[in-house]
Amino acid sequence: MSATAASRPKILTAAFLIGPATFIAGLGVIGPMLYLLRYSFNKYDPMELMIETFTLSNYVEFFTSPYYLSAYLTTLRVGLISTVICLVAGFPLAYVLARSASRFKNLMIIGIVVPLFVGNAVRAAGWMSFLGSRGLLSVTLMKLGFTDGPTDFMYTEGTVIVGIVAVNLPYMVLSLQSVLEGINRNVEEAAFSLGAPPLTMARRVLLPLALPGIAAGTILTFILAMNAYATPVLLGGPSFNMLAPLVYGQFQLNNWPGAAAVAFVLMATTLLLTILVAIITRQKFRDA
Amino acid sequence: MTRETKSMSISRRSFLAGTAGVAASSLIPGMPAFAAGGRVVVGTWGGDYARLLTENIDQPIMNPLGYEIVQDQAGDPERRAKMLAERRLPRGSVDTNGLQDSSMYQVFAQKLVEELDFDKIPNAANLLPNMRLPYGIPQIFSGMVCLYNPDKMKAPSAYADLFDPKMGNRLGIIDIQYRHNIAVASLIAGDSVTDVEKGKALLMELRKAGVRIYPTNEAFAQALKTEEIDGGPMWKARSLQWQKAGINVLAAVPSEGMVPYVSGFVIPKNAPNKDGAYAYLNALLEPEAQIRFAEKMGYAGTTNVEMPKELQERVSFTPEQIEAMNPIDFEFFTKHDLELKTWWDREFVG
Repeated sequence: MSATAASRPKILTAAFLIGPATFIAGLGVIGPMLYLLRYSFNKYDPMELMIETFTLSNYVEFFTSPYYLSAYLTTLRVGLISTVICLVAGFPLAYVLARSASRFKNLMIIGIVVPLFVGNAVRAAGWMSFLGSRGLLSVTLMKLGFTDGPTDFMYTEGTVIVGIVAVNLPYMVLSLQSVLEGINRNVEEAAFSLGAPPLTMARRVLLPLALPGIAAGTILTFILAMNAYATPVLLGGPSFNMLAPLVYGQFQLNNWPGAAAVAFVLMATTLLLTILVAIITRQKFRDA
Repeated sequence: MTRETKSMSISRRSFLAGTAGVAASSLIPGMPAFAAGGRVVVGTWGGDYARLLTENIDQPIMNPLGYEIVQDQAGDPERRAKMLAERRLPRGSVDTNGLQDSSMYQVFAQKLVEELDFDKIPNAANLLPNMRLPYGIPQIFSGMVCLYNPDKMKAPSAYADLFDPKMGNRLGIIDIQYRHNIAVASLIAGDSVTDVEKGKALLMELRKAGVRIYPTNEAFAQALKTEEIDGGPMWKARSLQWQKAGINVLAAVPSEGMVPYVSGFVIPKNAPNKDGAYAYLNALLEPEAQIRFAEKMGYAGTTNVEMPKELQERVSFTPEQIEAMNPIDFEFFTKHDLELKTWWDREFVG
């Protein structure tokens, strides 16, 4: 009885604390989302904008059109590959940062954050100058005798992945670094003193303890990659299709119902995969 | 009840402070007073366009008439979306909106904007004959010309010289100009800009020959600069900007007649200050404003105002060229926009 009485104020306090944020999210995010969901069941009309009805035709069009399905698979593939690259490349960097006792550590962290000060479109413009047929890379390869003529590295899936990794890597590194810093160095020393080689220590001790950071970084970079807009448009070119540019393309054509349906497929997929990653990570963390 | 009365009451001290503030603000030198015409909210693109409107329309013309101008800056699709979202409101948030030609027609077809009362726009009497639209006031225009690198190819005299499979991958076109590219191809292969089936067939031939498709104007400019391509269709205004930027290109007016690009302003049906909006449309056509925009943006004016000869030759066209223009059939392209874009994305580009 006394326990219940003690917990009641706690619940009230929690409700008070999460109330404003929930209200704002409800009003500013969930409300418009529901509106958008409703639109996705309407019918497009070039003169009337859309006809209020209830049809699944926009979703049927998405899942039966080779064009949309190809863009869907490309989005998933680019999202997954760039997230894995961010994780593999970001983990060692985050580890070095976390364990660094250098007086320049803050500068190193700033060095990782600085690229985030540049907008995605500006960054993509830089990549265009670097990777174009007369860009720095192509000219360097020609001068060094590796190629006979100009090579165009633009407008490929690989270029888009490179561009997205460059944007997302800092998010992964910062997510991992904050968790790795919280892992006591003595735990690693203990593993070494028990005869574990570095890779075994990393696999059996470090990675399981870093799982919350891995989950946070993975989810964050995956969401960003799935929803990338400027990078696929500018580095992928017109024939490279991912879902976020398709949503905007349909919106520009005033096809709000079609755009809403594509947006919902994108959101639902991102959400489902994010939940899946969170569940798997939690399970692994518990097992560890 | 008591509490309500109390909250609404104004204390003597705050009343005095408020009136003193208002009196003091009216005495500050250089602070404009905009009481007469009220506030006019102008939807516009950001960047240079917004700045030039401020410098050439808002400050020198509208402010002295007693109007306060507030800009609502965003892209064309976003501002159209806002108009659509506000369509049921008795009072919208924008008094006049700057849009590209196809968008102006689209919002008119969707019954979002006023059919203009030209009696309220005296300067509209000076509009060029093919610039008089019932639903919007064209402010600037340019024509799609044949842009080419003079060191790489002979000057084209027609769109057909550019949209020739023999150009192979030395021809570049821009993805976001799909409507105009289809119109140009239709004009070459058929009888008019709406002869799209013949135009599509020609575009497919170009595709097989290796035409390069760039996502944006800037990527196209980069390709011209690096000599990845020899030429392509583009607005004359852009070619002037790129020549200034040191890109080796010249522009040739096509013999078929240019497909124009027009940018203008419409008045939403639920504009709160329609008189202000009409005054703004009239101001856009003031001779001085037309000349200043032509000088700074490189687009031609839409009125018959006499421009300095050098400026006229640089940015505008001869009366014959203007008369021979082939405007996009907006009704046709609006009705078939989704279908054409779908074909463009899936068959042509894809």
